[in-house]
Amino acid sequence: MIRKSLDALYLWSGYLSAFFLVAIALTIVAQVLGRFAPKLIVVDSTETAGFCLAASTFFGLAYTYRQGAHIRVTLVTRLATGTLDRLIHLWSILVFAVVMGLMTYWSFDYVYFSYKFNDISPGLMAIPFWIPRSAMGLGSLILLIALIDEFVSVARGKVPSYVENDAPIFKSADGEASSQTEETR
Amino acid sequence: MDAGLISAVVFVMMLGLLATGIWVAPTLIAVGFVTLHFFSPAPAGSLLGSNVWDASWNWALTALPLFVWMGEILFRTRLSSDMFNGLAPWVSRLPGGLLHVNIVGCGVMAAVAGSSAVTCATVGRMSMPELKKRGYSESLSIGTLAGSGTLGLLIPPSIMLIVYGVVAQVSISRLFIAGIVPGVMIIGIFMAYVAIRAMLNPSLAPKEITHLSFVEKLWASRYLIPVMLLMFVVLGSIYGGFATPTEAATVGVAGALVLAAVSRSLSWASFLDSLMGAVRTSCMIAFILAGAAFLSTAMGFTGVPRVLAGYVEAWELSPVMLIVLLTVLYICLGCFLDGVSMMVLTAAVVLPMVDRAGIDLLWFGIFTVIVVEMAQITPPVGFNLFVLQGMTGRDILKVTKAAAPFFFLMLLGIAIITAFPQIVLAPVQWMISK
Repeated sequence: MIRKSLDALYLWSGYLSAFFLVAIALTIVAQVLGRFAPKLIVVDSTETAGFCLAASTFFGLAYTYRQGAHIRVTLVTRLATGTLDRLIHLWSILVFAVVMGLMTYWSFDYVYFSYKFNDISPGLMAIPFWIPRSAMGLGSLILLIALIDEFVSVARGKVPSYVENDAPIFKSADGEASSQTEETR
Repeated sequence: MDAGLISAVVFVMMLGLLATGIWVAPTLIAVGFVTLHFFSPAPAGSLLGSNVWDASWNWALTALPLFVWMGEILFRTRLSSDMFNGLAPWVSRLPGGLLHVNIVGCGVMAAVAGSSAVTCATVGRMSMPELKKRGYSESLSIGTLAGSGTLGLLIPPSIMLIVYGVVAQVSISRLFIAGIVPGVMIIGIFMAYVAIRAMLNPSLAPKEITHLSFVEKLWASRYLIPVMLLMFVVLGSIYGGFATPTEAATVGVAGALVLAAVSRSLSWASFLDSLMGAVRTSCMIAFILAGAAFLSTAMGFTGVPRVLAGYVEAWELSPVMLIVLLTVLYICLGCFLDGVSMMVLTAAVVLPMVDRAGIDLLWFGIFTVIVVEMAQITPPVGFNLFVLQGMTGRDILKVTKAAAPFFFLMLLGIAIITAFPQIVLAPVQWMISK
């Protein structure tokens, strides 16, 4: 039950990220249309597209992490096996979690002060900054949850998701896979 | 505190975290946070929030996910499977024959995709079996793929140039204009090399017998032409000054979707697949860039980059010497790091240095990207080498040896643009003056 809802959380925040990626393109289209009908549509695409980009990045963090697409250098660590290998994974996840803890805390701090001082975006649409900035806090929080979740499951002896899901971009005839993160391995 | 000591601490901490398997982006944030907290009076926490935010909604960066998405869509069309048959008739009569398909195919794929290993894998999957069947030299087949696969980093619309543009605050449109001539030049160098090798030793490449008429050639490449037209429109609208890179990328995405629909390779599953692929890549890059922006602010507070740039100035290096040193530095880094990480990790220190030495940052962007390309085919961590290793089943040593000549050909390319910087700069000045 908890497992299922957590997996759904990561996947759907990934979909939300995809939604905002499409939204970048849509704001551009709206802006171009707006040039022809200036009275009907008012979009400040430089600003809105930027907000969508930020939302896409932060909501995508946990999904990207679970898929093993964030880059890490595994040149040294790949040599480790068994318990040492697991300890290294735990250490990496722990450091990442501490960083995301800081990120989450200070993002929400930033959101709170944007709200309190009524910080408004400088563009045409004058959007209160706390709204887009919330995406930074929420996305960081979801990644933090994913990291804590991962720490627990690796400590219990499971293979980390970023190792398991790492998608091979090329498979040779004999089935030996060479994957995207092989670059840094 | 002393700048030398701070930079030593930063360096050791960064190395320690990266080597023990910490992801690149959190490493940058962690090092930045520690630097600010211990070596400067600035509030590390609130700077973390505001700095990461500022780097994340950067207008210049909005082109990146769209170009990545465009590439992901086009991959899932017939483009890759038609690359070989579409290009083969055009180059088969050159000395070196179908080996040129690898080079030109990678060049085209590079323009579409902007990622080097994917370029290498997609073109290679089609061409390797064909080349083998016809008795082409295996080492040249592997080498051309390894070398030309890296063109994806340079030929616009290139992801790497966007990353550089964001980091160095150089206009992405201008970088795209600057990248095209050196890109074509390197293709030319590769083709010339293959032709010369084939003329000196005809056993490397068998003569092709079939000859097609012009119309037949066009017919063979009927699936390639729409894609090339799309790229022409996308790049042309940037070059002509009609569109910003983000607008052009939007046109690219729309065009790619239409092409996919027309070639009947667009389904809900492939649409979602391409979109989620774009999410993974652009999220990874944007997160690294945000971390790098924070680290570079932190470094700015300590004054380390200024001091280091001063040291280098005190050595009174000529710009050429500086470029030689940086080439060596990047090639070494490239043995351990991927291109994006390499570029953003060094930016905070290297860019001020280069700027003060009077080197044009636009030119330096093209230079960096070519060096990063070279890093893709240096062991032990060379992305393209791994792909080719998986594809051919040969050991890494053999693949590396096959790729080595192309490493030196790119070095030659760097020498040429260093000697004649106008190759990079003149097209930009010409386009802007129009």
